[in-house]
Amino acid sequence: MEAAELHPLERALLSYLASKGRAGEADILSGSGLPDEGSYRRASQWVLSRGLAREAGRSVESTVSLGPLGREALERGGTPELMLLSAVRSGRADFSELQAGGSFDPSRWGSALGALVKAGAVSRDGNSLRAAGSGRTVFHELWDRVYEPLSRGETVELSTLPEGVGDLVLSRSPRRGKGRAEFIVTESVRLVLEITGEGLAALGAAGGEAVGRLTQEMLADGSWRGRDFRRYSFDMPPPRIPCGRLHPYRIFLDTVRRKFISMGFKEMRGSIAETEFWNNDALYMPQFHPARDIHDVYFLDTQDAAGWPDPATLRRVASTHEDGWETGSRGWEYPYDRARALTAVLRSQGTALSARCLGSGPSIPGRYFGIARCFRYDQVDATHLPDFFQMEGIVIGETIDFRHLLGLLRLFAVEIAGVDEYEYLPAYFPFTEPSVELMVKHPTLGWIELGGAGLFRPEVTEPLGVTAPVIAWGLGLDRLAMLAMKLSDIRDLMTSDLSRLRRMTVLPDRVLGGARNA
Amino acid sequence: MPRIEMSRTDLLGLAGIPQESEDGLAALLASLKAEKAGAEGDILKIELKDTNRPDLWCVEGIARGIRCLLGGREDHLSRLPAPSAAVEVDPAVREVRPWIAAFAARGPSLSPMVLDALIASQEKLASSFGRNRKSAAIGFYRLGDIRFPVRYSAVPPDTVFHPLGEPGEMPLHEVLDRTEAGRKYAGLLAGKRLWPFLSDAGGAPLSFPPVLNSEDTGRLQPGDCEIFCEVTGTDWSTVHLTSVILACNLEDRGFGIEPVEIRYPAGSPGGERVATPAAFSDRLEAGFDLIERITGSPPDPASIPGALSRMDYASWSVGPASVDAVLAPYRHDGMHPVDLVEDLAIAAGFSSFEPLLPAEYTLGASAPEEDRLDAIRAILVGLGCEELLLPVLQARESAGSAPPGPIPILNPMTAEYSAVRNSLVPGLLRAEAASAHAAYPHRLFEAGEVLGAEGGSLLTRMTVAVCVFGNDAQFGDAHAILGVLAGYRGVELALQPHPDERFIAGRCASVRLGGRLCGVIGELHPGLLDSMGISRPGSAFEVDAEGL
Repeated sequence: MEAAELHPLERALLSYLASKGRAGEADILSGSGLPDEGSYRRASQWVLSRGLAREAGRSVESTVSLGPLGREALERGGTPELMLLSAVRSGRADFSELQAGGSFDPSRWGSALGALVKAGAVSRDGNSLRAAGSGRTVFHELWDRVYEPLSRGETVELSTLPEGVGDLVLSRSPRRGKGRAEFIVTESVRLVLEITGEGLAALGAAGGEAVGRLTQEMLADGSWRGRDFRRYSFDMPPPRIPCGRLHPYRIFLDTVRRKFISMGFKEMRGSIAETEFWNNDALYMPQFHPARDIHDVYFLDTQDAAGWPDPATLRRVASTHEDGWETGSRGWEYPYDRARALTAVLRSQGTALSARCLGSGPSIPGRYFGIARCFRYDQVDATHLPDFFQMEGIVIGETIDFRHLLGLLRLFAVEIAGVDEYEYLPAYFPFTEPSVELMVKHPTLGWIELGGAGLFRPEVTEPLGVTAPVIAWGLGLDRLAMLAMKLSDIRDLMTSDLSRLRRMTVLPDRVLGGARNA
Repeated sequence: MPRIEMSRTDLLGLAGIPQESEDGLAALLASLKAEKAGAEGDILKIELKDTNRPDLWCVEGIARGIRCLLGGREDHLSRLPAPSAAVEVDPAVREVRPWIAAFAARGPSLSPMVLDALIASQEKLASSFGRNRKSAAIGFYRLGDIRFPVRYSAVPPDTVFHPLGEPGEMPLHEVLDRTEAGRKYAGLLAGKRLWPFLSDAGGAPLSFPPVLNSEDTGRLQPGDCEIFCEVTGTDWSTVHLTSVILACNLEDRGFGIEPVEIRYPAGSPGGERVATPAAFSDRLEAGFDLIERITGSPPDPASIPGALSRMDYASWSVGPASVDAVLAPYRHDGMHPVDLVEDLAIAAGFSSFEPLLPAEYTLGASAPEEDRLDAIRAILVGLGCEELLLPVLQARESAGSAPPGPIPILNPMTAEYSAVRNSLVPGLLRAEAASAHAAYPHRLFEAGEVLGAEGGSLLTRMTVAVCVFGNDAQFGDAHAILGVLAGYRGVELALQPHPDERFIAGRCASVRLGGRLCGVIGELHPGLLDSMGISRPGSAFEVDAEGL
């Protein structure tokens, strides 16, 4: 095997290490002649990955800086603890007196008191305080060892602080909510590198001057002729490029969108704020339906309206709820509250889009789909998001029947989930009859409920002016999306953490239909 | 979806399935729109999909459904004797809890398992179907302790009574204060002057519905074999359906049901005298044309009786062009002939239908606003921007919201998600605050829905927001990106000084695209950055996607 040649950065690093045996990061940066920290990082990564140097140790350095509360204390010339302590020691003891006379932030009074009591610097007796001694406390130490040096622009390392002070700093540097932190502790890992035998050999073999970079001048004057080009080794990781990227979950959703468009579906869009009318009433969900109360749906606190139905449609839907209107149904048999129909809610089901589509003169035949943000009153956890996407749609046609509904679900099983083992189960949705649930056997996830469909009840379609049969369908794609993105916590679909986002892969083409042949 | 628990032994026994042939259970449950949701020892957890079939929310209902699927229809409450007992209703209950149904049941002595099942169905029906005892609440008593006629009256809150499980007597208002059930259901009586009360002909209290039974008569025990059951509530059909379901359940357990006459001197939807349990006997008539239109083929009239029998219809007649059928007494969910058609399809089995693809040609198309957003997102990615996808819900006080602030939610679950965003900027700021450890530069963007109000109407708009952060970030970063975006989209960009507290004064401008006011751009205010814990400078813009 041909000995890999050395990159100039590697050569510089190895030469320095050869002269020192081993060296830490600070020494290398100052003594090796490497141009900058980035070059050092790349060179050290390369030599480590090629076995030319090894890690002889690592040290973690934690440096302390002031957070917002710390800066505030510095400006006031003392921490709340010191101020409170000095007030107590100067003889003021009563709570109300201390609170009124304090020159510190009153909102931090309670925590300062707690800290002083805990440290044994004061003792509490009912509503008054007594100083326990007059000597120096850990809070004085904290001021001298941390605040003072930082105010002079010096670096404070956590490891150099006395134990009590260090603990105090750590307990006051929360990892989250830095906006209310007194201190911020920044950790950095420092490597100590040591050259290996292979490294020494490579350095010795590297010898003469090979061409590193081919330049424009060399091309212009022909000086490249007859020269040796340094051979590259290919076992080093590629350099990182800062780059733009679409969001992985949106890439997944966009792939699904394209699939539906290719299957002849037209995309529906709608408002995230809906009237109860379009969200529920038009779907023949009675106003007393349990899924409609304040523990299931978000109501908006606003006087603004969320898109009213036209009066004739409202009238027809109202009487369908009351006595079935002309649909042949007995209706839900209750007095329909028209005022409630206009209440603004956050869309709780994508089917609201389908209702609006039916009410606005859809094409017949027609196929529609929508990817709708929906909102449910749920505790946010590993399986629930504050808002989520529902994939919903309809298929309308004079000749549509139950068999087409089954065919459509089969299409989804094959084209979306990429499976060929599936099962139809009787289901219940308030707005469809018959209703079917589609179970599919996924190679990774096992049997999952992929979606549901049904023929819209006449109580839904006829008041909206549609007499042709309509298939309503919905798909649950979260589990497939999480599989495509290799996630186990659904909250990661909408993470705020950029580095987490940068680590995510998304492979919709391997999870969505078509993958079965791969 | 209701979820219930039952004893597997009880279910298999009632359904007549031998333990070893349990394999087919899943398929049978599926036909009842039910599925196994877990098991623990002898306890079987079952989830029901149909929120309109409370008769299935108990072991007796599931077992009955299975028996009929396997063996055909059964008689329910078919040969009831005439009522021999009565409940007198005081017209004053009309104001607080107007309706009652009641019956007596005599049968085999209650085993602990049967008693558990009875109480489980009592609680499930009252909490879910009875809407936490508002529409319907249920009481069971030892029949032998009661002298008829029972009186259902409305009494003052200082009426004294000995509640079940309490050491002694107390006035009703103390029951609400001092007992757990009292505190839980006090809301149902709020604002009422007189409260519902059941007592027997001798004046002995039976219960304080819908809160607690009396200690003296209201406690069934294993070994009891004579039961009095009453259902009170605010909704006529919920009360009656609940009592029919309970009566059918006891009948299935071998009890004989004895109706009770309810006397409403002031009248009721069922008249002045109503014998309960009162079956609904809902009738559905479906033409063969409707069946063909839904299922795709004309029905075979000879197969209809078998199908309806397996679905436990009470009776039917199949004519030359239609079928007319009566639902079992415990069902009140048939509203439209399509409901009958679905039952026929379930009886036939969904796998007996041939799946077809809709044959008619339709043109696929994306929504124009999504097309526009896609074009914008592609340009931004080319400019090195990283896309975020963040929740639409946020805290009401989110820093960085556009004036006049996000639209608040009336019933938030947590403060963290208590409003609907009116700008994408707060989310991007939160992301930056959470991402200080990610290598810079940070060019963050989101393109998506925000909710605003215009002229008294709520309006969902699509906006595009970009925030750039870094050690040397400045106004020019956002400006450059907006410039390329406008240029590639072929619209003229014009900025004008604009006050907006989110940005540094004098470094904030309104954005006009093609002459139309579309948004805002600026260098983020250090006060805002500081409040979010963001340690690097940044600039941002947000514009209506429609302007691009």
